[in-house]
Amino acid sequence: MIGDILNILSNTLFSMVPLTLAAVGEIITEKAGVVNIGLEGIFMLSAFTSTVVTFYTGNPYLGLLLGLLVGALAGVLHGVISVYLKGDQIIAGVGFNSFAYGISLLSLVALWHGHGSSPRVNKIVTLSFGDFSFSPLAVVAILVGILAWWWLEKTPSGLKLRACGEDPKAAEAMGVNVYRTRFYATVIGGALTGLGGAYLVVGWIGQFTKFISAGRGFIALANVAFSNWNPLMAIVGGLIFGFFDALSIYIPIKIQGMTGRVITAESNLFRTIPYVATLVIVAIIMKKVKTPRALGKPYIKE
Amino acid sequence: MSRHEVIIEVSISLLIAFATGALVLAILGFNPGEVYSVLFKYGYSNLNYLLSKSAPYIMAGLAFSIPAIAGVFNIGGESQLYVGAFLGLLTAYYTGNPILALIVGALAGGALALFIALLRVYRGINEVITAIMVNWIFYYLLAYLIAGKFYNPQYSHESVPVPPSARVPSLAIFVIAVAVALAYYYLLYFTDLGYKLRVSGISPASARYAGFEPAKSVLTSMLLAGIAAGLGGALLVLGITYSIDDTLTAIYGIGFMGIGIGLLGRNHPIGIIFSSIFMSGLVIGGQWVELKTGAPPELADTLIGVIVIALAVPYAYSMLVRKIRREAK
Repeated sequence: MIGDILNILSNTLFSMVPLTLAAVGEIITEKAGVVNIGLEGIFMLSAFTSTVVTFYTGNPYLGLLLGLLVGALAGVLHGVISVYLKGDQIIAGVGFNSFAYGISLLSLVALWHGHGSSPRVNKIVTLSFGDFSFSPLAVVAILVGILAWWWLEKTPSGLKLRACGEDPKAAEAMGVNVYRTRFYATVIGGALTGLGGAYLVVGWIGQFTKFISAGRGFIALANVAFSNWNPLMAIVGGLIFGFFDALSIYIPIKIQGMTGRVITAESNLFRTIPYVATLVIVAIIMKKVKTPRALGKPYIKE
Repeated sequence: MSRHEVIIEVSISLLIAFATGALVLAILGFNPGEVYSVLFKYGYSNLNYLLSKSAPYIMAGLAFSIPAIAGVFNIGGESQLYVGAFLGLLTAYYTGNPILALIVGALAGGALALFIALLRVYRGINEVITAIMVNWIFYYLLAYLIAGKFYNPQYSHESVPVPPSARVPSLAIFVIAVAVALAYYYLLYFTDLGYKLRVSGISPASARYAGFEPAKSVLTSMLLAGIAAGLGGALLVLGITYSIDDTLTAIYGIGFMGIGIGLLGRNHPIGIIFSSIFMSGLVIGGQWVELKTGAPPELADTLIGVIVIALAVPYAYSMLVRKIRREAK
């Protein structure tokens, strides 16, 4: 019984990392007025990059770093399109998801000639205390959330960033460079998401698979709305959404262990748990949230 | 926007996409010239296959574009296609009646899209998040139902088949898809309903001022989109695949591709017919590329992604066009 609880708790802490990191990153991006729905694509691309780097160097920490860098570069691309070219942010994000999916699988096949998954790679350290274990990145994710909250809510530069998302004209009048602020906010958001994507492989699963992200980028987006754009609540949201993710893996294994019957078809049914839970949670809380007012609208200087 | 600007926009985005694709192929060690020549030589040679394969794409494109015109982002075409394909298949299997199967598929897709629209209108939930969750829920639900309940005892990993009496000739599904696209074109540009949809998309405030509720346009456009996607799924199963495998390989991704198809067709039903045929060739050609050169078929996804990203920046193109005009003077 205690073992089960510790097991689910550990799995929750493993699942929460990418959901929290990406959500906190996206909160920073959206607070500045840019929406990036390409989180799923960043997860894919940085997960793949970190796999390649770790495979060839044997160093998962280098993989983590390169994953973060790829995320930042994706942020640069989205930032240029949204801020300077005034493109449609939703469409650019959707396009990026498709591009990242295509290029990751294209490279997967070109490098390892397997269609489903990569070879296993080294992972970063896991901290364990008996049945209870977690990744040091869980601590990082929580710290990043707290730090982001303090920055956005308690510092002058955080206030300036928020002004760009609420009323860019007023921000400009205050002397804030709206373009530059929005651009950097998008890069930071991309970098944090990239870290989460790299973690999927080198911190958690240990290999790249076609379904490594499986909608997590969008669950992170749901977490942004759930948190009401508050990084502290995004940590809580990460734990809640992570819990259902953990449950969907845990229940079929537990049933198999108890009945001794191998379940194959039914395991698909349990996989719907995180998505159903997300849908229900968002449907219940969504009425009360307050989006940044200038979110998704390109700012054009007069 | 003038017709010239549209042509320039579409051509530039295609150019950027194929250039990026060539770069990626070269980095991965393939010969881009060889890959592209196979892609275009084989992708568009079998006219019958090209057209029938484009039928579900036309429907997926409409499923994205009709709501886009009304200001809704329907990324749920994917699951609307799944339910249309699955319920169409079951209806065909149990009744042997293709017309009934197509109707059931279309209605199932419509109901699912309406669900997402209702959540947006009455609960204010962003349709992108809901749609993706619904996509994954139905992906796994169908995978379960096909593997666990409606499997074919003779072929493992496959659903029960469409009986021969309910199969639709492959060219007929193209004709049906084009007919639906034309009907949607008429609806959008020659009826009161279409006018309301377009006004709601351009400016919800003016719609309200003119005395009609933009929320109603959201619901109507999503219903029309879901019907198209559901019918697209049913057409695919009844006209091409005749069954669904338990990882949904035959349907997976068509809904997402609809976004690229809709955008490339400039959200216009007639444009969508042509962009679907173009994409259909890319996908067929992609399969030949794999056979002949060993380059993976995901090349098509990469190209479509770049096309969509490039189409997201019309502002940049209009700036470019203006600059060229100024210099020409």
